[in-house]
Amino acid sequence: MTSIDVQQLTKEYGTTRAVDDLTFSVRPGQVTGFLGPNGAGKSTTLRLVLGLDRPTSGTATVGGRPYAAYDEPLRQVGALLDAQAAHGSRTARNHLLALAASNRVAARRVDEVLEETGLAAVAGRRVKTYSLGMRQRLGIAAALLGDPEVVLLDEPSNGLDPEGIIWIRELMTGLAREGRTVLVSSHLMNETATFADHLVVLGRGRLLADTPMREFIAGHSRPRVRARTTDPARLRTVLARAGHELAEAGDGRWTVDGVRAEEIGRLAAREGVPILELVDEEASLEEAYLALTAAETEFSAPSTPLQEA
Amino acid sequence: MSTSAVLRSEWIKVKSLRGSVGSLVAVFVATVAITVLVFATVGRAEADNADAEPLFDAFYAFNFGQVAAISFGATAVSSEYVNGALRVSLAAVPRRGLFFGAKTAVLGAAALLVGLVTSFTTFLGGQAFLGDYAIGLGHPGAVRACFGGGVYLALMALFAAGLAAVLRSGVAVLSVLIPFTLIVPFVLGDMAGGAAQFLPDRAGQQILHEDPSGMLGPWTGLGVTAVWAGAALAAGWWAVRRRDA
Repeated sequence: MTSIDVQQLTKEYGTTRAVDDLTFSVRPGQVTGFLGPNGAGKSTTLRLVLGLDRPTSGTATVGGRPYAAYDEPLRQVGALLDAQAAHGSRTARNHLLALAASNRVAARRVDEVLEETGLAAVAGRRVKTYSLGMRQRLGIAAALLGDPEVVLLDEPSNGLDPEGIIWIRELMTGLAREGRTVLVSSHLMNETATFADHLVVLGRGRLLADTPMREFIAGHSRPRVRARTTDPARLRTVLARAGHELAEAGDGRWTVDGVRAEEIGRLAAREGVPILELVDEEASLEEAYLALTAAETEFSAPSTPLQEA
Repeated sequence: MSTSAVLRSEWIKVKSLRGSVGSLVAVFVATVAITVLVFATVGRAEADNADAEPLFDAFYAFNFGQVAAISFGATAVSSEYVNGALRVSLAAVPRRGLFFGAKTAVLGAAALLVGLVTSFTTFLGGQAFLGDYAIGLGHPGAVRACFGGGVYLALMALFAAGLAAVLRSGVAVLSVLIPFTLIVPFVLGDMAGGAAQFLPDRAGQQILHEDPSGMLGPWTGLGVTAVWAGAALAAGWWAVRRRDA
């Protein structure tokens, strides 16, 4: 099994701490969302995992070994860090061929990933003629080149059109289903919610959460029920007796905070209040995330502002 | 990692970049074209001059060809410093010494090959216009100058490559080296002696003289250029190894 293990990782640039005593693991077989606002240290962490930057202290390993210890690393780990990294004067095909050659990946594989990322028809064009979305696809093609067990993608949906976003989502969940380790950084919560099974959340270089996504949302949001009834006045009285408050949500709908549908349903049934609709409102990842970061800023001492390096 | 695989990868990078292929071609085309132009027009008149030095004068166009050689070395390395390309390269080849060594070897080999072809072509091509004034490869020092001239061009390319890795920018390298090689010699003229003769271009060009004056002989002069190139590459290697990518 190939997991990513980050142990007490710290990276300082001058006096700023981009990554601060970070410890987490990324497991195979699921998509792990790597969340945090811009400047939280996500990209720095990915660079440290890939051995591109030297940690100030701590370690980052892939499959128990430092990345640089792999003989042909592209066959183990594929990464997209920056879609702009391919030289504009090269064709996409030559960019991939040079990468493939260094790790003795067959040239046939270059054509396969070009096909897979939808670039086959434009593979002979210079990268500078590419849109951001096409460059993003090229970066993903490069990440998939060595058919790696571990895939790291930094903001992969940047610049992709809606169709591309669906494609990358299916690609990532597909890779995880094959048992691979997939770590995807993003600052977009709602989008991450569509593909992540697990979350690692950073804020100011520190670990804020490392939990399954369902638990993360449940743990950082208050339950809320949405209801429709033909007799709001009676429902209000019944609920008030049980200590709940009915709030009007407009359009004939009502909401009750801090309670789940089963309890409201039981109360209404006992009192014979007609209910037309009763639903648990799913909190969004965004709401949960904001609740977490709000709590975080409340409890953390003011610290030096960080910049994404 | 397999060294030959990394060499192949670096070769693909060089040949797939219009800028580096272009400057490599320019080494040959510029040098030979200027030689033909000059020798076909004023060649005989110059050769008739009292202070003419037939062997050294044969390589006059090197003044321009070396600029292309410098551009080749600089652009081939600096292409790694555009938009984080180096991160992609080092993710594929994490052994940084191997990465930089393979790049240097490929650049050096390509520049040497083109340099030798350019050097011999320039010499023979220029002489073809001189009629009675022409010298051949049998002239004292001619083969040495042709061979050494090719090595000289390769060393200048490597010197620029090393600097590019330190400065992380092709433009920076060109703005240091081009004034250095184009203007400084004109300013200093033929002034022999002093520290100027140890400059990388001046020292290396000793190999082109039939009978070099000054402290440096033909091979020791070329050796001084090799030391410059070696020092630049060592600094570049250190920068690639030590810095965060």
